[in-house]
Amino acid sequence: MDTLDHLLAGLAAAMSLQNLLFALAGCILGTLVGVLPGVGPAAGTAILIPLTFKLDPAGAIIMLSAIYYGAMYGGTITSVLLNVPGEAASVITCIDGFQMARQGRGGAALGIAAIGSFIGGTIAVLALVVVAAPLAALALKFGPPEFFALMLFGLCLVTGLAGRSLIAGILMTTIGLLISLIGIDPVRGAPRFTFGMPELYDGLGFIPVVMGLFGVGEILATAEKPYREIIKTNLKDVLPTGAEWKASVGPIIRGTGLGFFLGLIPGVGAIIPTFMSYIMEKRISKTPERFGNGAIEGVAGPETANNSYANASMLPLLTLGIPSSPTIAVLMGAFIINGLTPGPFLFAEKPLLVWTIIASFFVGNVMLLILNLPLVGLWAKILEVPYQYVCVGTLLFCLIGAYSINSSVFDIWVMLGFGVIGYLLRKLDFPLAPAILGLILGPQLEKSLRTSLEMSAGSFWIFINRPITLVLLVLSAVVLAVAALNLAPNQIREASDD
Amino acid sequence: MKRGWIVASLVLLGLCGLTVWQSALLPQIDDLGPGPGFFPLWLALLGLVLSALLIVETARMPAAPAAETLIPDKAATFRILAVIVMLAASAAVLEPLGWRLTALLLTAILLPALGARSLLVIVPFCLAASFGVFHVFYYWLKVPLPIGTFGI
Amino acid sequence: MLRTALGAAVGLALSASMALAQAFPDKAINLMVAYPPGGSTDIGARIVAGIAEKIIGQPIVVVNKGGAGGQVGWTDLTRQKPDGYNIGFVNLPATNTVILDKDRQAIFDENSFTPIINQVLDPGVVWVAANSPFKTLKDLVTAAKAKPGELKAATTGILSDDHLAILMLEEAEPGVKFRLVHLVGGAAQMKETLGGNVDVSFDNVGSIVTQVKAGQVRALAVMDDVRSKFFPDVPTTKELGYPKVISSSTRGIAGPKGMDPKVVAKLAETFKKAMEDPEHQKKMDDVGLAVKIMTGDEYKKYFADIHAQAKKYTEWAKARPQK
Repeated sequence: MDTLDHLLAGLAAAMSLQNLLFALAGCILGTLVGVLPGVGPAAGTAILIPLTFKLDPAGAIIMLSAIYYGAMYGGTITSVLLNVPGEAASVITCIDGFQMARQGRGGAALGIAAIGSFIGGTIAVLALVVVAAPLAALALKFGPPEFFALMLFGLCLVTGLAGRSLIAGILMTTIGLLISLIGIDPVRGAPRFTFGMPELYDGLGFIPVVMGLFGVGEILATAEKPYREIIKTNLKDVLPTGAEWKASVGPIIRGTGLGFFLGLIPGVGAIIPTFMSYIMEKRISKTPERFGNGAIEGVAGPETANNSYANASMLPLLTLGIPSSPTIAVLMGAFIINGLTPGPFLFAEKPLLVWTIIASFFVGNVMLLILNLPLVGLWAKILEVPYQYVCVGTLLFCLIGAYSINSSVFDIWVMLGFGVIGYLLRKLDFPLAPAILGLILGPQLEKSLRTSLEMSAGSFWIFINRPITLVLLVLSAVVLAVAALNLAPNQIREASDD
Repeated sequence: MKRGWIVASLVLLGLCGLTVWQSALLPQIDDLGPGPGFFPLWLALLGLVLSALLIVETARMPAAPAAETLIPDKAATFRILAVIVMLAASAAVLEPLGWRLTALLLTAILLPALGARSLLVIVPFCLAASFGVFHVFYYWLKVPLPIGTFGI
Repeated sequence: MLRTALGAAVGLALSASMALAQAFPDKAINLMVAYPPGGSTDIGARIVAGIAEKIIGQPIVVVNKGGAGGQVGWTDLTRQKPDGYNIGFVNLPATNTVILDKDRQAIFDENSFTPIINQVLDPGVVWVAANSPFKTLKDLVTAAKAKPGELKAATTGILSDDHLAILMLEEAEPGVKFRLVHLVGGAAQMKETLGGNVDVSFDNVGSIVTQVKAGQVRALAVMDDVRSKFFPDVPTTKELGYPKVISSSTRGIAGPKGMDPKVVAKLAETFKKAMEDPEHQKKMDDVGLAVKIMTGDEYKKYFADIHAQAKKYTEWAKARPQK
């Protein structure tokens, strides 16, 4: 009951005109940060921190959190309309979101993303209120061995991402994993496959690679076959149709749960929940062949998971003072600069403030929905611009985006290289998503395995005698076995054809 | 299409082969377990097997009737090359010339090359992309886009 | 005739360089940070740049060139013209270990920089979770001696200053041998220590100030010869009888080698004024970073001393068996 009282008091404080204005300003700035390339959520929040120096602590935090959520949503807009992920977490949205836009359903894709984000974010905030502290402490038990098992499980799911050839899907995953091994190895801390170039010591930058594969690859494909017809998106098409609604309910619910639980575990990062949601939806779908050709489930699930993750990942920060991602680390810096110490004492010492902030997450979610639904039609107008301008404009976006992460021309070359590769693979209809999953999971897999072995002085028992790890490893084995069984009949039939 | 897949698989086969060779030079095992060469070696071997399998699988596929041609026509090739060359040129001159001149050149050359004709649109677009974008990013967003040796 | 011409040329060059120093700066100064935005070097840089640009009268633009643990940024810095318009942060001993680790094939060395001014000295700290059985550094050392190679000690990365600090403690107290667990950064360390996956962590004071205040973690010792102002109750390693276990992470501003001494003096003077500004002091206190201003020969000597110390422990770290 106590909690509810606090929440209501917090809600009242968050609804003050001044705080509402801060939330609004944050949502607008955040959306811009998400849409603009190169100013990802972390950099965007860091750059805007000085803006908040003059505000009172609650106002400052409300505004910065709103920037964070807004950026998460803004990244979706460019993914859907231009096939350029505005920030890393919306990579997977490119796959089906952009196809929907090509079919004139870009409005619906953005609409369902906004609605899914709202639902995911709101439920995550409510869950945060109910379970807060005990769950966060439990999530800490999730150490390097558990992390390794989780990543392995994610990798086994990749069989669900394959297109028309399972072999090609697994091959592309392997290639993604191999590329991810470029850089300083976690064993000796020495460079590997870097040809003496320090720019490669951290591996190929994820953003330049995906901007190349998706953004530049798309520009090249459009340059080859310019779409002559203008893609009209009517304003009334912004809302999903009845059938689309029906298809999205399940993905939104599942995405909320997935994002919430992964959000509690520091270090998972915003990309993995979106990928897991996409794979899960494709796996359980009765019509998996629609995925990659504009399936609304492929937008609704990941986008919901993304926002649910973003809200839930505030929990380790508020209760334990542990930032779970680079963006949250920047937010934590903002808390500290504004005289607040995130951690268990914050709840005890300044309950009204904490609950005001939590309530403002909810307010921010409402605001993003109100702000974005009417704007969707406006954004979709981008598709009516003649293709030369869209191409060149997108190219400028990619150029700034790749360059400004590290002020690095090297990253532009990486983007160009992967742009050509992306174009060729697209022409051949080679599956791209498995390679990206390999690229994300590779470094984390190797690092968490190494850290686990450092903890156990080289004994592999550490993976067996920890229950969560064991469960995840058994699950991975089951997924692999099922995939192998699915594969087997095909092989037999093929063999008997001979 | 079929030939394209076989060529792509061959390229991947070659890359995996190179990686096997390179990773065999790294230590495979150390005090605690897998060494720096362990994962690259086994993944590259897996890649080798898979690309070989993919070649076999593709070769046994029936050829698609009237397969779509993979080679773009002359005009399309020109547009694709224009984008690639201009992007490469931008990367090369970005730091010496600065963002404003680079973006101006990129847009002023690429837009007509892709077929834009209306000067009334091209000129404002180029100016916005170069000087406008620079102003917004450098001064408002504090993203340091490069300034060239000429001071702009 | 030749002599006069030469003299005139030298005179011209001298006066040109003087004119340069007088006019410096007549355009924006780039202040490079070798890490992505949002880290503590970046926060410190943005705070000091905001104040210093008002003093010097030209914009000071913070440019993040992250990558390879700073190596990309420092490579770039040492390649710039030494005209004072391109300066950047060097992080000791991270800059030194990058130079010293031969595997990294750094193309710069300790002489490639012109040290200008130091901003922050963040001492190393040994800390445990609040529920840990270790109440003092002595408890920890005793337990580590009883079970050599079993207590898990976390670093924030291979060859980080924390990694070297663990080796210093092992050297000062023979018989102590930790099981090294290399984590990525302070947040991961906090998570694994609170979650009970490691027994003790080595990091810097600035990373744990807030958690110590909140009572979540306990600092056992600060690896410095004077007590930290953030932890007045925590003993130093020197007090505890380990005068050689002194470790810290310092962040200061340097330029490429060969800078005009007048330009260096002008920059040092400007940044010194900015760092002494009460606004700077307060903001740095808020984020838990201890300001330590060093300029001129003092900073040069400090740079050299740290390099010598880092050399010894880097070689050892590379040779030390994992088990």
